[in-house]
Amino acid sequence: MAAILKNTLNRRSVLKGAAGAAAVGAMGSSFPMPAIAEETTWTLANSLRSVANPYHATFAKGGEDFAKSIGAKYEVLVTEGNSEKGIADIKALLQRTGGKLILNVDPNDSPDARVIVEEVKKAGGFVVTQWNKPADLHPWDFDPNYVAHMSFDGVPTAEAIANELFKAFGGEGGIVALGGILSNVPAIERKLGLDNAIAKTNGKVELLDFQPADWNEQKAFEITQAWLTRFGDKVKGVFAANDGMGMGALEALRQNGLAGKVPVVGIDGIDAAVAAIEAGEFAGTVAWDPLWTGGMGLAIPYAHATGKIDITKEGHEHREFYGTGIIVTKETVGAFKNNPPKVDFNDLWGKATGQIQYRG
Amino acid sequence: MYQMFLGGALRVKAAALAGGAWSKQWRRWAPVAVLVGLCIIIGLFNPNFFGGANFVRMLNTAAIPLVICMGVTFVILMGSIDLSAEGVIAICAVAASMLVANDFTGIAIGLFSVPAAILIGSLVGLLNGFIHVKFRIPSFMTTLGMGFAGIGLATAILGGVMVRISDSSFRDYLSLGRVFDIPAAVYIAGVAVIVAYVIQERTRIGRWVYAIGTDEATARNAGIPVDRTRIIVFGIAGAFYGLAGALSAAQIGRGHALISQDRLFTAITAIVVGGTALSGGVGSVLNSVIGVFIVIVLTNGMVLMGIEPYVQKGVQGLLIIAAVALALDRSRLDVVK
Amino acid sequence: MTTPVLEIRNVSKSFPGVKALDDVSFAINKGEVVGLIGENGAGKSTLLKVLNGIYQPDQGSIFVDGHPVTITSPRHAFDSGIAMVFQEQSVLPTLTVAENIFLGREEEFLRFGLLSKKRMNAAATKELAKVHLSVNPAMRCGDLSFADRQMVEIAKALSLDTRIKGHVTILLDEPTSVLEKREADLLFSIVRDLKSRASFVFISHRLEEVLEISDRVYVLRDGKSVKELESRDATVKDLHQLMVGRQLHHEYYREARQAVPSATTVLEVQSLTKSGSFSNISFALHEGEVLGIAGVIGSGREDLARCLAGHTPFDSGSLKVKGEQVHFSAAYDATAKGVGLVPAERKVEGLVAPFTVAENMTLAALPKFVSGFRIRFADENAVARQWIERLSIKTPSTATMVGSLSGGNQQKVVLAKWRIAGVNILILDHPTRGIDVGAKEDVYELIRDMTAEGLAVILLGDTLEEVIGLSNRVLVMRDGEVTATFEAAPGNKPAQVDLVSHMV
Repeated sequence: MAAILKNTLNRRSVLKGAAGAAAVGAMGSSFPMPAIAEETTWTLANSLRSVANPYHATFAKGGEDFAKSIGAKYEVLVTEGNSEKGIADIKALLQRTGGKLILNVDPNDSPDARVIVEEVKKAGGFVVTQWNKPADLHPWDFDPNYVAHMSFDGVPTAEAIANELFKAFGGEGGIVALGGILSNVPAIERKLGLDNAIAKTNGKVELLDFQPADWNEQKAFEITQAWLTRFGDKVKGVFAANDGMGMGALEALRQNGLAGKVPVVGIDGIDAAVAAIEAGEFAGTVAWDPLWTGGMGLAIPYAHATGKIDITKEGHEHREFYGTGIIVTKETVGAFKNNPPKVDFNDLWGKATGQIQYRG
Repeated sequence: MYQMFLGGALRVKAAALAGGAWSKQWRRWAPVAVLVGLCIIIGLFNPNFFGGANFVRMLNTAAIPLVICMGVTFVILMGSIDLSAEGVIAICAVAASMLVANDFTGIAIGLFSVPAAILIGSLVGLLNGFIHVKFRIPSFMTTLGMGFAGIGLATAILGGVMVRISDSSFRDYLSLGRVFDIPAAVYIAGVAVIVAYVIQERTRIGRWVYAIGTDEATARNAGIPVDRTRIIVFGIAGAFYGLAGALSAAQIGRGHALISQDRLFTAITAIVVGGTALSGGVGSVLNSVIGVFIVIVLTNGMVLMGIEPYVQKGVQGLLIIAAVALALDRSRLDVVK
Repeated sequence: MTTPVLEIRNVSKSFPGVKALDDVSFAINKGEVVGLIGENGAGKSTLLKVLNGIYQPDQGSIFVDGHPVTITSPRHAFDSGIAMVFQEQSVLPTLTVAENIFLGREEEFLRFGLLSKKRMNAAATKELAKVHLSVNPAMRCGDLSFADRQMVEIAKALSLDTRIKGHVTILLDEPTSVLEKREADLLFSIVRDLKSRASFVFISHRLEEVLEISDRVYVLRDGKSVKELESRDATVKDLHQLMVGRQLHHEYYREARQAVPSATTVLEVQSLTKSGSFSNISFALHEGEVLGIAGVIGSGREDLARCLAGHTPFDSGSLKVKGEQVHFSAAYDATAKGVGLVPAERKVEGLVAPFTVAENMTLAALPKFVSGFRIRFADENAVARQWIERLSIKTPSTATMVGSLSGGNQQKVVLAKWRIAGVNILILDHPTRGIDVGAKEDVYELIRDMTAEGLAVILLGDTLEEVIGLSNRVLVMRDGEVTATFEAAPGNKPAQVDLVSHMV
């Protein structure tokens, strides 16, 4: 279950992408929007990995919402985990729109970001990148076309949700943790956040074992089963670096009659996790608000393109910034469901939480 | 632990050189020996391994891979390959979850969704076979494409969301419910193994699979309807994937396009480790059962022994190579590729 | 006049470049054993495969019990009462004895769609009893000895007898070549026992056997049926004469250009032995000499050729190239010492079909065309063009895929490859197999050219005529041993009959 998260690029997903293209081709790798009122000559597009996962599906929806609000043409480009396809589609769209393109892209892999930014600058369009980019690639070096880069800080997020887990079992005892693919940046950040949270308990919470389950629900299921054999009732809680793995762990607990007794936390805020929180089986998750990233990644460059703001005059904290993750727990889940986070397309940086930090 | 495996491999090589019936017998039983050896080693490190609860957990983990392997094994015995399992399982899991009470469709046919999933799976399988045979496209490409198409179709239907199953009896009968403290999925997998074994041993198709996998020209000369057999075998494989799809949906209570991620690799690893040759003609569904348990026990055991995650993949790789080396009669191979 | 149980009239069958059967007529009567003899390539196996439905004849018709039939497949042949024991075994090692015997005909053991192994094994035991083979029918054939597998193969054909009502015909394609004398005698007694129920077509290179078991004998030569005679009227010598047939064509084989080899020995073979293939082979090969090796299938000459070229190892003995003791562990060792093999299976072993003409030609000598990490394509092409001209290879360009050339031109590319590699001892295994007459002459011309330049050639010819015509000397092999050596100077060539008597 992968993950919405980044860089889960491996050989299989590339293979799958290659043909997924054919499969998804039928339904179109782009969704032309019926023009409600042709008020702008700009074409808007979100580029993402696959609408098969809930995060990107919602991300695409956010872009659509914004495009609708201004009556612009909107397209979704799908990489299917294939960098070449992603870049080729973007080039084709730049060609087709004559450079009048505003692009909100979640690059398949960090190095792709540089190529995409250079292509957009050459064509005279505007681009915002999400999550993945090389550390030395900065929007201000490509003024004005590279408008901004948005990300989420895995370290404080993971630390916060870990604390929710500790709270759920009383703050004392052993936990086990499922990580993402060892080399992924978000996987490393989230592990770091967990370690910080544990350190701050002064030994009250012990990390019994940490295993990477590669963002995979099934692997998480198998590993959790084995943990139950190895640690038995020493396991007081399960930390999962994303909701998919968390769901795998939860089903393993359910098979052993422990669902709802041993709390689980995840990250991403997928529907199933929110439902599990309501059922008292998950202690919490973090919702990324992809509706906001999907829309705002278009709203900011559009504001610049239409002269509302001059992005080159904005500070670095408005060019490379973290978004806000929403902690969802038993207490807040009702509010979260009833009042899903609203997106105000006029409040461009309202949910930004500081300039991006580059760690080691 | 590595040294023990390697030591075993070397002894076998010596035996193979010495030749004779003994080495043949050894090759036949090598996968069982590997499994027993693994269990003993893991049990020495962590006696919890031999606990009843752990066996139930391992059986439960093995249930779905077993069902998948039953299908893939027939195709491999026939000398072809089936890479469509993940896609077919995804379609069937999504279909099954949309047919029982759920939050996506208004349909709720309960357990009838299981035969429906099996039917859908076998139809996709037959299509695999038909394209492979009639258009003479290698099974590798046909099934690879079909697998991607399956995931694509599941994605297109769902548009990125998941189907949540609210039919608790569906989940109980297929996965969670227990008889003698053993989960339902294990019994279903057991029945699947028996059905596969009967097909292999007691039907014409079973015999013909071996004949085709060993030497297609001879099989044709003997009057075997080779093309029809191929199509049927892909259909049988699809039926097992359909069942695996229903079991997957019941296990996690949801249906989605990525439900079977990485299942195929595990299945093919298990089949090869179990001693079934990718070249066809050699092996058995029972070998695959052993292979699945080797893979499951190994995953379970490495967590139990607390082996560093970084080392686990290396151990897995070494084990695969060692197991294949033990089971394969390399003296018969002229060209290794 | 009784109606023949199986008859073919005026059957012809061609393969690209070869007319394998040319207007052949042939009949088998009830309870008769008919022998079929001829040299390798005379068309015997093709005829059997036509009768068994593996090949469809281009012309002519087949009659079973006087009715015209079209045999579409081996299964169809079986249902029409014709079963075949293949020269290359068709027993599947992964199936059990019983499963092999009844492969493709499992219907009779089905009950509610499930096979009864018990009944199948019991029925197999009965069939095995006919060939006096006492193995467990549940045993895998891969665990049986080669001769036992052959008996299973025969049992499989004989099972026809109890399964088909009416008269049956069983085709035996060299069934005895892998059997010991005792087993062969057993087979003959079985054949005699079954004569009341079945007719047999028997192919063998062992002419004494053919005369012993057959009632009548047909002799095939170059795809034609040249003689039909009663066994009791014939002698082995008659059969030899008939098989060999026509006179030699001196010009065809460029005998005038046959050089007298120099005294320099380039290859010396001492007591070479490979168990199961050949034993105690010794000879010397000289510069500019063509040394022919004659022998039937199973004589060991093919294995010998492969050993000499380093393709397979030998067990004992020694090999000297230009006086230097050598040990080949792989074909490239042999190439490095100047020994090359042009294999019989051109497409499998001699050429890389999807490569171009130029790429194939330089394959064995690639280091000569490499500077640093770069292949000098210009040089490669220049050399390829040179050889295309020299050997008059018909190809559109150096960049043509070799697989698209005709057989004769492919063979020339193989020869060019070894010449470019600087090979000076060339082993030719059936160099003219499957190529047309014109291309054959080109190859003969080439062999003369090469020997004139000092190359030494070991030749395993397609026909005896070819071996005798081209060689300076001929070794005759039988059952893995050299049985005779003939000098073959121009104008003083040995007769084929003399060779044949040492071959079989």
